[in-house]
Amino acid sequence: MLNIKPIVSSLLRSKSGPILLLMQIILSVAIVANASFIINERLTMMQRDSGIAEQEILTFAIYNFDPSIDATLQNKVDQRILRSLPNVKAAASTNMLPLSGSGWSTTLNLGPDPETAKSTPQVAMYMGTEHTLETFGVTLVEGRNFYADEITDDVNSPNILLLITKALADEVWPNESAVGKTLWAGRDVQVTVIGVVDKMQGAWVDSSDLEYSIIQNVDYSGNSYMVRAEPKHHEALQQQILDALMTENPNRVIDNFQSIAVVKENSYRDHELMVTVLSMMVVLLLLITSLGLTGMVMFNIQRRTKQIGTRRALGATKGDILSLFLTENYIICIVGGLIGGVLAVLLGQQLMQHYDLPQLNLIYPVLTVVGMLLVTTVAVILPARKAANISPAMATRSV
Amino acid sequence: MFLYYVDLAWRSIKKTPILSLLMVLAISVGIGITITTLNVYNMMAFNPAGERAEQLNTVQLWSQGPDSWADYHSQVTYQDVMNLRKGKVANEQAAMFRSGMAVQTDDPQILPSLNGVRVTDSGFFNLFEVPFIYGNSWDKSVDEQAAFQAVIGKKLNQKLFGGENSVGKTIYLNRKPYQVVGVIDDWHPQPKYYDPTSGAFSKAEQIYIPFSLTASEEFSVWGNMSGWKYERLDDYQDRLGSEKVWIQYWVDLPTAEDRQSYKRYLSQYVEQQKELGRFTDGKSPEESAQLSNVDAWLERNHVVPEDNKILLGLSVLFLSVCLVNILGLMLTKFLKRAPEVGVRRAIGASRSQIFSQYMVEVGVIGLFGGLLGLAWAWGALYGLSARFGVAEGLTHLSLSMWVITPAIAVGTAMLAGLYPAWVVCRTKPSVYLKSQ
Repeated sequence: MLNIKPIVSSLLRSKSGPILLLMQIILSVAIVANASFIINERLTMMQRDSGIAEQEILTFAIYNFDPSIDATLQNKVDQRILRSLPNVKAAASTNMLPLSGSGWSTTLNLGPDPETAKSTPQVAMYMGTEHTLETFGVTLVEGRNFYADEITDDVNSPNILLLITKALADEVWPNESAVGKTLWAGRDVQVTVIGVVDKMQGAWVDSSDLEYSIIQNVDYSGNSYMVRAEPKHHEALQQQILDALMTENPNRVIDNFQSIAVVKENSYRDHELMVTVLSMMVVLLLLITSLGLTGMVMFNIQRRTKQIGTRRALGATKGDILSLFLTENYIICIVGGLIGGVLAVLLGQQLMQHYDLPQLNLIYPVLTVVGMLLVTTVAVILPARKAANISPAMATRSV
Repeated sequence: MFLYYVDLAWRSIKKTPILSLLMVLAISVGIGITITTLNVYNMMAFNPAGERAEQLNTVQLWSQGPDSWADYHSQVTYQDVMNLRKGKVANEQAAMFRSGMAVQTDDPQILPSLNGVRVTDSGFFNLFEVPFIYGNSWDKSVDEQAAFQAVIGKKLNQKLFGGENSVGKTIYLNRKPYQVVGVIDDWHPQPKYYDPTSGAFSKAEQIYIPFSLTASEEFSVWGNMSGWKYERLDDYQDRLGSEKVWIQYWVDLPTAEDRQSYKRYLSQYVEQQKELGRFTDGKSPEESAQLSNVDAWLERNHVVPEDNKILLGLSVLFLSVCLVNILGLMLTKFLKRAPEVGVRRAIGASRSQIFSQYMVEVGVIGLFGGLLGLAWAWGALYGLSARFGVAEGLTHLSLSMWVITPAIAVGTAMLAGLYPAWVVCRTKPSVYLKSQ
C-alpha cells in the first residue's frame, strides 16, 4: 500500500531539503536521548528515601562564645530544656546534619592491624544518645538502642558502641548478623556493633557511600541540635527554643533554624537546576525540530501543488496524499533515528569517559526516536491536510 | 551599497513575516540557551588573579603514608605550615583557614553576631591585592609575635562603627578584645579563589586575624579537615602536632626561577622530614611536593562543576541543531524568491552582488535573533537565580556577553546562510524569464 520505492527515489533526487531534516533529526536524537537520560538519573537520585523524618526535624545551631563555659554541662542542660518544650517528640545534639553536605566520615577496619585488615567503605559518623534514633525517626531492625548509662561525653572513650545501617551491615557481613561484631578504628581502638537500623543516609548526597552510616554513643557538645516535632509547630517552636535557651544562658548566638527537608533541598539544588535546564532544552529542541519540519512541508506542498493535483486527478484519495507526506517523514525519521541513536551512544560514551556519568541506557535513544515519530507526525499532518485538500482541478490549470 | 542591502533585507523580511519570525525565533532560542550556559561557565571559569595567576601558588605536600590518598590533598598540616613559614623563601607567603566567632563591641546596643573569620598572615593582603580604606594590615612582626589585632570589612565596619575610621578601636571576638588595624573595601573575588574549599562562590570574610594566634587561641576550624590515618586527638595541641591537613598555604613567586628554587627548597624540606620519620610513602623528595598556580588550584578544587561542562557541550550541540534548522528555512525562503533573483540577474546584478545581498539579509535576521536571544538568556538567568538561589555572581549577564552574543548570533546565521545564498546566486536568469 505504501509506495515506498518511488518516495525514496524522489527523496534521493531532491537534494538539500531532506538531508537537512535528516541532520536535524540525527542531532536531536543524540541530544534528547542523553539529556533525558541525565534527567531521569537525577530525578531517581532526588527521590531516594533518606530514612529520616526530614519534614519533622527542625535543626539549628547554638554558638556559645563565653570562653568560661562548661560546654559538656551546657549541652546536657540545653537538651533537657529542648525536650521539655511543648509538642517536642524528641531532641538530640549531633555532630553533623544528615544530607547537609558537611560532617564527619571515616573508615573502620575489620581487624586490629591497619596494614593488613580489610576496611569498611566510607561511613558517615554521627554522634548521638539514646534519644537520637527517635529524633531521626529511623527504625531499629535488629539489636538494641543505646542505654542511657552507656552514653559518654568523650569522643575518644574506650567504650564506643555502634548503631549501623542495614546497608553497611549487609556490605560488611553479607550473610550474618552484624550485632555483636567488632570493628577497629586504630590498632587498639575497638568498637562494638549493638544494633542495626533500617535506613539512615549520611551527609553527602553525591557520594556512592550515602547509605553507609553509623551512630556512636557520644553526647557531642558541638553546635548542631535537632528537635523533632510536627511541621506545623516548627514556627512557634523556633521562638520558644530561642526564648528558653537564651534565658538559660544569654552568652550565645542561636540561629540557622531549618528543617532537614530544607537542608536536603539545598543539597540537591544543583541537580534540580540541571534537570530544569535539560528539560527546557529537550522541550525547545522538539519544538524547534517540529517547527522546522512544518515549515519545510509547507514549502514542499507549495512547490508540488501541481503534482499533487495531478495525482488527485488520477485517482489518489486524500488519505493517499496524507500518507505520502507521512511516509516521507517516517523514512527520514527512522533513518535519522538510527544514525542519531548511534551518535547518542557515542556521545554517551564520551560523557561517561570524561565525566562522572553512568553508561547511557539504550532504552533512551529508542524512546527518543518513538517520541520524535509522534511529534513529527503532528508537525507533518497539520500542513499535509492542506495538501490533501488541493483539488484535482489544480492540475489542469496552467501556471 | 551596504545600507541599500539592509533596506532590501528589511523589505524581504516584511514580505515573509512568518518565515522570518520562525528564523529569528530559532536563532534566538539556540542563542538564549547557549549564552545562558556560557555565561555561567565563564563566570565559574574566571580567573580573578589576572596577570598574577602565574606567580601566586599554593603548596601541596605528599605527607600521607603508603596506601592512603591517591592524590595530593589541597591543604597541608599545621606543622608543615609552621616550618615553611619560618623558611621565608618566597617573596610573600600566607597560611590560612576559615573560622568563625561571635562579634561584639563596647556598644551594648549591638547584639552579638556570628561571623566567618579568616585566620591568616599579613602577607594575605599583598598576595591578593586587597584594597584598604582605612589603616593597613597588621605588621609583619605580628606573624611571629602574636598580637590581638584584626582587619575588618567595610560592611562590618558600617554595622559596628557606622562606617567611620575605626582604626584603633576594639572589637570582641568570642569576648576577647582585638584592636582594629585596618578596614578593607568591599572585596569579593568570584570565584573565591584564595579558598574555594569552603564555597567557591561565597562572599569573602569580613574579619581577618593573625594566624600566629592559632596555637594559643585554639580557633575552631570552619572548613575541611582530613586525615589519612587514625590519630587520637584529645585536645587542640594534639591537632596542631597531627598529620591532619586543614590549612591552605599560598606563596608569591614572581619569576620562573623563583618557582624553580622554591621547588628545590620544598624537596630539601621533604628530605629533612623524611629523616624525621614523616613522608613515609616511598616517593622521592622531588615528587613529594608541588606548586599549583591559580589555574591549577581552581581546577584541583573543581570550581567549575562537571554538570556545567556537560551543559555547555549540550547547548553548543543545541545551537548546531538551530543552525541546521535555519539553513532549511533559509533555503526554502530563498528558493521561493528565485524568480525575483532571475529578473535582477537579467537586469545586470552580478552573482557576488546577489550573494552579498542575501548574506546581509541573513546577518540582519541573525542580529534580531541575537538580541532576542540575549533577552531570553537574561530572563533565564534571572529565573534561575530566583528559583534556585544560584550565587549572585554567577547569574549576572557579564558585559562581554553583550558583544559576544550578537557576534555568535550573526556568525551562526551567516554560516547557515552561506549555502542558501550560494544556491540562489547561481540562479540562471533564463529559466525564470522564460516562464514569465
